[in-house]
Amino acid sequence: MIKVSGLVKSFTQGKNITEVLKDVDLKIEEGEFVAIMGPSGSGKSTLLQLLGGLDSPTNGKIEIDGKAISEMSENQRTIFRRKNIGIIFQNYQLLNNLTVEENIAFPLYADGTLDKEKMKEVKELIQAVGLNELNKKQANLLSGGQQQRVAIARSLVNHPGVLLADEPTGNLDRSKAEEILLLLTQFHKKNNQTIVMVTHDIFAAGFADKIILFKDGTIEQIISREEENYAQYLANFMA
Amino acid sequence: MSVKYGIMTLLYDKKCHGYELKIELDQLLGNKGKVNPGQIYTTLDRLIRDELVIPLNIDEQERKLFTLDASGKTELEKWLLEAVPYHSTKEDFFFKWICARKIDYANESQMLEQQKAMVLKEVMDLTKLKTDLLIKGDENNYLLISGRLLHLEADLNWISQVENRQTKP
Repeated sequence: MIKVSGLVKSFTQGKNITEVLKDVDLKIEEGEFVAIMGPSGSGKSTLLQLLGGLDSPTNGKIEIDGKAISEMSENQRTIFRRKNIGIIFQNYQLLNNLTVEENIAFPLYADGTLDKEKMKEVKELIQAVGLNELNKKQANLLSGGQQQRVAIARSLVNHPGVLLADEPTGNLDRSKAEEILLLLTQFHKKNNQTIVMVTHDIFAAGFADKIILFKDGTIEQIISREEENYAQYLANFMA
Repeated sequence: MSVKYGIMTLLYDKKCHGYELKIELDQLLGNKGKVNPGQIYTTLDRLIRDELVIPLNIDEQERKLFTLDASGKTELEKWLLEAVPYHSTKEDFFFKWICARKIDYANESQMLEQQKAMVLKEVMDLTKLKTDLLIKGDENNYLLISGRLLHLEADLNWISQVENRQTKP
């Protein structure tokens, strides 16, 4: 479970202080697939970075599976992240000179846990994301959709309980985006991972169980399909 | 497309005779075909019977004029604000929207937003259904639903385009 309370993040530039997140409270249950939507600059990607331990909050608390990552040192957060959180970025963030297989195995290599058994798992993941025939190909020679498949496989290699995705389909056309979202959904259903996905695309958000509407650094509304008027809230929000 | 609401739109703020209604209704429908004059007169009879349209005097060329009753205006405005379910075809919404434009309908933004909510609900429902179908291995129905979603995406884009143009000075 992800629990966020009183979360504040501000950035200082010269004399100006910009509060990007303003007292955010949020609870995401284990195994939920949640989409975060909101205009540019509303703080949704900053929230994701804090959830992933890539940055630390100015104030407030973030707990993931009972561990307060907001109180950890940078090193502790990095170790926690490697073991428990997978992250997928809009621009894939692969190591371009490495092959598909090397990119996916990289977190294990960095942790010093890469062995024969783990390598077998890497190969299974390559097959699951449909890149079997490209496993020896260099990452920068792949298409956008293929690179995102590698990024998904890499994010799953440590069996994280939480998967964070920041606009995972933002650079892809509709049909490639569809393949990526279906892949994520299939893994989500199979492994019961918690997924938090930032997106501006309602067609991507449609894959989630719940949608969090973000505006000006705060949560405007959390909507689930069970609510009678949820489509009206969405339409108002998107107006 | 409804001849009934087309006639009511044309009578919203002016009096017309039957032939005028036929010509203007054809224009309102654009390239979607022409209306049979007989259909106009039978529809007018029903509208008079339901007290939505009032028959007036005969004009100087001995043509009967018609106007919309206050209850007819209410009925038309109620229809304009009813979102159109996707399965009943989006053409119905386009017709409704062109009727709203014809009478400079003040609540056009509300109409568009309600339609957007209707489309969004379909998008959310169909996305879930599509995913379930694929996981069950029902490739054909998955592809059919995907096709419907692409049409819905086009509808949403169109509504956004209308909204964006409304906000321009």
